[in-house]
Order: sequence, then structure tokens, then C-alpha cells
Amino acid sequence: MERSLLRREVAPFLLMFVSLVAAAILGDWLLHTFNLVWIGRWLGIPGTLLILLSLLYSLRKRKLITAGSPRSYLGLHEALTWQGTMLVVIHAGVHFNAVLPWLAMIAMLVAFASGLTGQFLFERGRRHLAEKSDLYRQRGLSPREIEREVFWDATTLDAMAKWRKVHFPITLAVAILSLGHVVAILMFWNWS
Amino acid sequence: MKSRFVLRVLLANLAVIAVLVFVVPHLMVSPGPLIAGHRDLESDCFACHTPFVGTPASECIACHKVEQIGRFTTKGVAKTDNVTKAAFHQQLRQVDCIACHGDHAGVLKYRRAAGRFSHAMLQPGLLKQCGTCHSAPTDALHRQVGPDCAACHGQERWKPATFDHARFFVLDRDHNVKCATCHTGQDYKQYTCYGCHEHSRGKIADEHLEEGIRDFENCARCHKSADEHDIRWDGRDGDGFRRSRHD
Repeated sequence: MERSLLRREVAPFLLMFVSLVAAAILGDWLLHTFNLVWIGRWLGIPGTLLILLSLLYSLRKRKLITAGSPRSYLGLHEALTWQGTMLVVIHAGVHFNAVLPWLAMIAMLVAFASGLTGQFLFERGRRHLAEKSDLYRQRGLSPREIEREVFWDATTLDAMAKWRKVHFPITLAVAILSLGHVVAILMFWNWS
Repeated sequence: MKSRFVLRVLLANLAVIAVLVFVVPHLMVSPGPLIAGHRDLESDCFACHTPFVGTPASECIACHKVEQIGRFTTKGVAKTDNVTKAAFHQQLRQVDCIACHGDHAGVLKYRRAAGRFSHAMLQPGLLKQCGTCHSAPTDALHRQVGPDCAACHGQERWKPATFDHARFFVLDRDHNVKCATCHTGQDYKQYTCYGCHEHSRGKIADEHLEEGIRDFENCARCHKSADEHDIRWDGRDGDGFRRSRHD
């Protein structure tokens, strides 16, 4: 019973993390094999842009954006952070040089793991709220309205609220450390 | 309350990291250690870098005077080794140090892979003096030829050599001989087929005159494929050969 629970609830998130590491190792190996290491040097830019784009979900969650389904934004957030993190890990993994960018990368991986934890909590909350959606249905709400109600209920669960208190500082650390790395690059890059 | 404490601890840590960036920049932000000659500058980024500009050549020249490169050390002591090669810096079209040089180990890895040096940076007069920087290959082929590298090799890369002998004459198994057998006097614009016992002048003359061919001195014009029966000539020199076959 416990094993089945582990497989159903935890394994998908572990798989996400393992697949990220595997994809990054594969990407790094391909760049080295085909003598394309220079590409890895630039992958930090698209990686960062993808992660920044994924923050559209945060804007939607805080209702700074009102268009579009929140569920779609969450899906976008998950997909873009996975891809962006993978690109940044390849970018960082090509060569070890300075401490600051590595701190930024470690913080980013912690944020990714934290994000998976949030996803796990959210999915679990959704399952608990499945019964509630039946109730909404009985009240005569349309499927779209039910989806929206259940989504916001799930995101306001107590566990989610606690998790967010952890996830935000980690994300802040990633942002500041990454910004430090980017500023250092801009400052010392040979522009001329 | 608890989350505010976590946030404060986090910000305090980030502040410590920020301080370390300025105290030990060579560990925190530097893309790898500097080359041995610049180790003393490791923690002084701005000795070479101008913020948000890069590394202007003027910073390098302040120590490495172009006219002294390869001849004197930065301390002004005359060099006794490796003088010839490094002195080519005096023949550069313009001084652009970072076009070739990168001092950080992390940067060098990319530059070596990309091959930053371009012969286009050299003054035209130096382009024909390959031997001032390059050693001539010692293989059997290159031991036979003269010093005009550009006759076969381009400025971009050594291989593939741009010269294709088959465009002029195919070196099949019967003609796989030393260059000097045909190109006497190391003049590769001239050749003779009469150096071989198979092609004595008298024998060649007899065979051609018998066919009514009087202009037979330029053998490769018609016998480019090295097959004496495969004759291609359209009546003019060049690549537009017409094929005919004599049995």
C-alpha cells in the first residue's frame, strides 16, 4: 500500500528531477563530444529568459495578469522552469570557474526541487478537493467554473501557504545570486 | 514571524557573499586562474579590465610594449629565447590583444577551441614569410618542395591543402614519383615528362608525328588522366576538355 503511494505520489516528481539531471549530463556530453563547448557558454541566456518567462505564472497568481487559465500558466511555469534550469545547468556544468555562479546554480537546483515539492503538495491538495468539485457540480457550476474554483482552493491550502514561505526566499536567493553573476559578466565582458 | 527570520538570515548570507565578491574576486567571479605571468594581478581585476568596456589594448601595452614583444621582457631585459616567433607582433596591422589572447583559464578553453588567430591580422608583407613563425614539415613530400607554402596552402588552415595535383595531372601508380622527377629545379610551374625512360623525347616524338601531331611538348594538356589512351583536348588550354579515345 505504502509502496503504491510512493510510486503514485512521489515517483513522478523524483522522475522530473532525475530527468533534468540526465538531460543536462546528456547535453553537456554532446557539446563536449562534438566540440561545441562554446555553445554551452551562451546557454545561460536562453535558460535565464525561459525561467523569467515562467514567472508569468506568479503574475497570474497575483492577478497582475487576468487573461488565460491559471492551470495553463502553472503548466507553462513547470515546463519552462524545467527547460530553463536544464539549459543553465549545462551552461554551468561545462566548466567550473568561480564560486558565485556555482552558488547561483546550486540555489537554482534547490529552487527547482522546492518547486517540485510545491507541485507535489498542490497535486495532493487537488486530489483532496476532488470531492469538493463534485459538490460544485451538484450546485450546477459549469466545468470551467469548477476547474477555476478547485484550482484556487488547492493553491490556498495551508500546506501550500507554508511551502510558499520557503519557496519565495529560495527563489529570491536564486534571483540575487544570478543577478550578481550577470552583473559580473556584463562588467568584465570584452565589449570592445 | 518565522518567515521574516528566515528572510533576514538569507539576506545576511547574501550580504556576506556580496562582501566576498569584492574581497576575493578571483575566487568569486573570476573565470578561472590567470596565466602564470599574470598571477600577481589575480585579485586586481581592474588592472586589466575597464568596467563595462572590457580589456582595452592600452592596458596590455602599458606593460607589454609592442616594439619590445619577443625581444625584451616586460622588465626591459633582453630575451635570448623564442625571439623570432613572438617578434611578429611588430608586424600586426593593428594592436588588438584580446583578439588572440585570453588570460583566464576558463576563457582560454573556448579560445583555443575556436582558433582566434587570423593571418589577416598580419601586414601583407609578412604573409609570405611563413618560416618566421612556422617550421617546415619534415615529411617526404615537404622535404622536396620549396619555401612557397602559399602555392598549396591557404591562410585559413593548413589542411586541406588547396592544391589538387589531379587538376593538372593525375598521379596514378605509374606516376607516383618524387616531385623533382618532373619538376626539375624546384620550379613547380614547369615540368617535363622526359625524365622517365618510358617517355624519352625521341620515342614520344615518333608516336605523335606518326599521328600527325606536331605540338606534343605540353603532355599534360592532353594526357591529364595519366592514361596514354585517354586523350582530352578541345584545342585550347584549360579545363574544358573534350574526350576522345585512341586505341
